[in-house]
Amino acid sequence: MLIGRRSIAGLAVGLAYTGLSSRAAFAADKEIVVGANVPMSGPAASGGIAAERALTHATEIINKEGIQIGPDRYTLKIAIYDNKYIPAESVTNAEKMLSEGIRYIYSIGSGNSVPIVDKTNAAKALQFSFASGKDHLTGPNLPLSFRSVPTNETAYAIYPWLKTAYPNVKRVAHVNPSDEAGFTESEDRRAQAEKAGFTNVANEYFKRGATDFYPTATRVLTSNPDFIDFGGSIGRDQALGVKALRELGYKGMIMVGYVDPKTFLEIAGPEGAEGALLSNTLIEPQTQVQKDLVDWYIKKYGPPFSAVLYDSWDPIFMLAEAMRKAQSIDPVVVAESLRSLEWAGLFGTMKYGMKSVYKIDCSMTRDIPMGVVKGGKSTYLTTIPWPKGL
Amino acid sequence: MTATLALQIGITGLVMGLIYMLIALGVTLIFGIMRVVNFVHGELVMLSAFAVYYLSAEWGINFWLALPLAMLVSAFTGILCQKFLFRPLRYDILNCFIIGIGASFAIRSGSWALFGPEPRAIPALVPGVMRIGGAFVSQQRVFTAAVCVVLAVALFLFLQYTRPGKAMRAVEQDPEAALLMGINIENVYVTVFVVSGALAAVGGALLGMLFGVDPEMGAEPLLKSFIIVQIGGMGSILGTVIAGLFIGMSDSITETTLGGELAFIIDFAILMLILIVRPKGLFGYDV
Repeated sequence: MLIGRRSIAGLAVGLAYTGLSSRAAFAADKEIVVGANVPMSGPAASGGIAAERALTHATEIINKEGIQIGPDRYTLKIAIYDNKYIPAESVTNAEKMLSEGIRYIYSIGSGNSVPIVDKTNAAKALQFSFASGKDHLTGPNLPLSFRSVPTNETAYAIYPWLKTAYPNVKRVAHVNPSDEAGFTESEDRRAQAEKAGFTNVANEYFKRGATDFYPTATRVLTSNPDFIDFGGSIGRDQALGVKALRELGYKGMIMVGYVDPKTFLEIAGPEGAEGALLSNTLIEPQTQVQKDLVDWYIKKYGPPFSAVLYDSWDPIFMLAEAMRKAQSIDPVVVAESLRSLEWAGLFGTMKYGMKSVYKIDCSMTRDIPMGVVKGGKSTYLTTIPWPKGL
Repeated sequence: MTATLALQIGITGLVMGLIYMLIALGVTLIFGIMRVVNFVHGELVMLSAFAVYYLSAEWGINFWLALPLAMLVSAFTGILCQKFLFRPLRYDILNCFIIGIGASFAIRSGSWALFGPEPRAIPALVPGVMRIGGAFVSQQRVFTAAVCVVLAVALFLFLQYTRPGKAMRAVEQDPEAALLMGINIENVYVTVFVVSGALAAVGGALLGMLFGVDPEMGAEPLLKSFIIVQIGGMGSILGTVIAGLFIGMSDSITETTLGGELAFIIDFAILMLILIVRPKGLFGYDV
């Protein structure tokens, strides 16, 4: 009988424990999935892998506190969908994510983000794009599309600064890949260069992944520029372009963006890379939060630190904060909350803005860090404040 | 167009033409003798470049020792392809074509996983830039062009005057007659893959010094090689040399005067024209 009582008591304790556990599990189960449509393989995999690491670590931090909305506590979960940097794969990924009920999507690359933006907006899903794309990704007709990194828009800050910092520069040439990113980068950069008082002397496009850049460089040099902006070029392409220009005798200034400094220096060579301005590239961490992020990365993955990581860090924190502020997980409500959010992030004050250009506040605005290659090493140069009133 | 610009276009085209020719020679050698369109050749170029990169740039082994080791890696991979991909298919042209594409994608995908996404560079053997007339060219490009010429001549001499070279030509002309003359055809096939692999390895090292090393690096040169081999005539060494120089020059003129996007369009237009007018290519023969 005693055994029977003990059994019943044990059963009761067990049931109570199970009940508590399942309540705890139920609370933890209130998960918001963020689909990451990123290249984990193929030529742009380095960016995708860095983004995945940043997003995963950011959500770990967010989830410690959780996102409290009324009585419910939510956590974020990152689901990776490899788009291989192929637009068709990206569309398939988006369709899969939407059919699985995912309403928050993070996407890398213009070619991968533009083809899905109509679908995500129609499905009332909120899309963050680490991409150029101007009004193909940003506009009143796409209220749920946010561009999480200033890309072509950096031209609004950089060219006025360039005019003051390098008054001898007069003639600007633009070199971009012949795709969505390249066209939009070129358009804005040419417009802002002209507005700042420079003369655009060349506007060249090349096929991404091209082997030889001598012909493109030869074409550019016939226009006698004294500043060459590589705009939307990335990785090996920009390094080979710079190397070709220097080998063909160009002595003027060069600016590259979206730089992985190690790759750039290795392929362009120390002589080729010397003096190049590295736009929107934070070479060395300048603040404690930046240092903390770099330290975490080096400890976990070892050197080198990928600068792409910085740009995939804040958007997810901003999303969580917008949800808290809106007290909602409805993407339409969260989008409105994001538009009015000011976030103290890795690059100082960060805000989705640029209504004066796109007629809606959906494009990231923040200060622009600049680097330069000096003595064979990439170093921090300055930080350009974001222009007021944009 | 100024004389300096014309000279610059000419130098650029000549160097690129010779590089494409070197890669294409490996492709045409295999096709000429075995009637196999080897899609894996571009991956041999890439694997060799990585081998040279790791051996010389990462592990500090002298380049002149690293290169033969890379040639061994490439030749061995070529033999593996011959033994385990093409021989089981009895060198059937269509089946080998399809399995070659599959193997090529598999090797490339594996390389992304193995080597990672960041492009690397093999340090130039001959750094610096030289001026020819008013045109500029890196000394590494001049060195590369010279190596390509030397290797093309060496391949010609090998095929003309050595015993294995003669055996290759015999198999190319008539495999059954060669067999009756006591030539071991399988051994010839192995030799063909070794030579082709070695050419790919040198091509990979040279490309890696000029344009960096990544898993996609073999793709464009291979595509150019197929255009060159088709124009020159499948299996023709002379045709490959001439077509290589022609495509290099055509690319340089098109890219410099009209822009990079048009080069492939022009290449394929030339190819289509040749295939319509002379389906077997300039110096080829019917298969």
